[in-house]
Amino acid sequence: MFVTEPYLELRTGPGRGYPVFHVVPREESVDVVKRRTDWFRVRTERGVEGWAAQREMLKTALADGTPFTFDAGNRAGFTSHRWELGLSAGDYGGATLISTYGSFSLNPQLAVELSLSQFLGNASNGKTIDLGLAHVFLPDWIASPFVTLGTGYVDVDPKATLVSPIDRSDQTAYVGAGVRAYLARRFFVRAEYKAHVVFTSRDDNEEVDEWKLGFAFFF
Amino acid sequence: METRLRVLLLAAVLCACAGCSTIRGWLDRDEPAPQVSEVDQAVSSEAEEAEEPAPRVIEPEVERRTIKVPKIDTENVEIGAYFGALSIEDFGTNSVYGVSAAYHITEDFFFRGQVGRSEAGRTSFETLGGNVQLLTGDERQFTYYSLSLGYNFLPGEVFLGRGRAMNSSFYLIGGIGSAEFAGDERFTVSFGAGYRVLPTDWLAVHIGVEDRVFESDLLGGSKLVNNMEAQVGVTVFF
Repeated sequence: MFVTEPYLELRTGPGRGYPVFHVVPREESVDVVKRRTDWFRVRTERGVEGWAAQREMLKTALADGTPFTFDAGNRAGFTSHRWELGLSAGDYGGATLISTYGSFSLNPQLAVELSLSQFLGNASNGKTIDLGLAHVFLPDWIASPFVTLGTGYVDVDPKATLVSPIDRSDQTAYVGAGVRAYLARRFFVRAEYKAHVVFTSRDDNEEVDEWKLGFAFFF
Repeated sequence: METRLRVLLLAAVLCACAGCSTIRGWLDRDEPAPQVSEVDQAVSSEAEEAEEPAPRVIEPEVERRTIKVPKIDTENVEIGAYFGALSIEDFGTNSVYGVSAAYHITEDFFFRGQVGRSEAGRTSFETLGGNVQLLTGDERQFTYYSLSLGYNFLPGEVFLGRGRAMNSSFYLIGGIGSAEFAGDERFTVSFGAGYRVLPTDWLAVHIGVEDRVFESDLLGGSKLVNNMEAQVGVTVFF
């Protein structure tokens, strides 16, 4: 990369609080060694290594004069990205729910989601795993609604004090809807509802409502 | 029956939406390229002849370089292990060990998961009561996990002697998780603070304190128990 601004500041660490210890003048080049969050570790022609900020790296140019571009983790990334990870808390049929999910986007609108949850209630504890599709409407909006559909497993572990406790592991199916709203940088808030149908071995299927709210980030 | 219909109907709607977004690109691709009519071509060739530029004196023989930027090595993941002391309320303080993994989202925030295990000691009631055993051996195992969001603040440097400086940072952390103890699993809220020193760019040493709070009715009435933990850990960035 070639420095096109008057100078490029190098810091001792990957953060705005670390001191500037070296300055690369205009027209000199730097090599990118690695990247951590929004900071680039670069090596100058003289072999000095330091950390440069993302906003300054966006102003450097390649040898052919074209600007150096990369995934900057901004609003454009919210609309179109590959991976998502999130954490949320909520309610699963009356029990407290802790849930994480990861998603892989096939295109800005369609993603495959895997979610792992644990619910802790007064009558029973349990774990769920869900795999499904999420369809995002209007991904370029700051708050975009989505619908989900998928299948999973629930493993219920009733508390031992109850009469005739039975450990159950059943297949489930779910449909759901939610909203994701962009916060800042790589973060967004995600609120979601899922209606689960548990295919029990008894005569009746069970229905469980799941509500959750949490944060997620994309990369 | 009604539920199945609802599921079926919503499934159909989702598939339709997903399908539309996926095949939207295909439809564009099939569009025929705009045809240039022969008359247009004739007109444009005449115009070219009329406005033919003067022949160049020097033909530049510069080979245009095409630059391909190699994939940048990102180091946002931090994985490691820790060891410390966990004070389980009413059950004494015991050693704890665990593993942790973190993903640094921005320079300020990181997402961290921890899984740890400790073994509870005896309550004072058990010690004074002679042969009384409140819990069996298995039930004394305290296993927890927590999923937290951390915030880095006060970045700085630690100086070792004259010629060595290491980056450091404090962080606050808070999260949710569960603790399995005395034959039951409970929803746990945890919060704490830590200090991270990086001897090199990829290695970090952590010192942290964390409180894991949950509601317990193990000893009579239901109450919130605080389980303070002090930990020392080593993590590697990659």
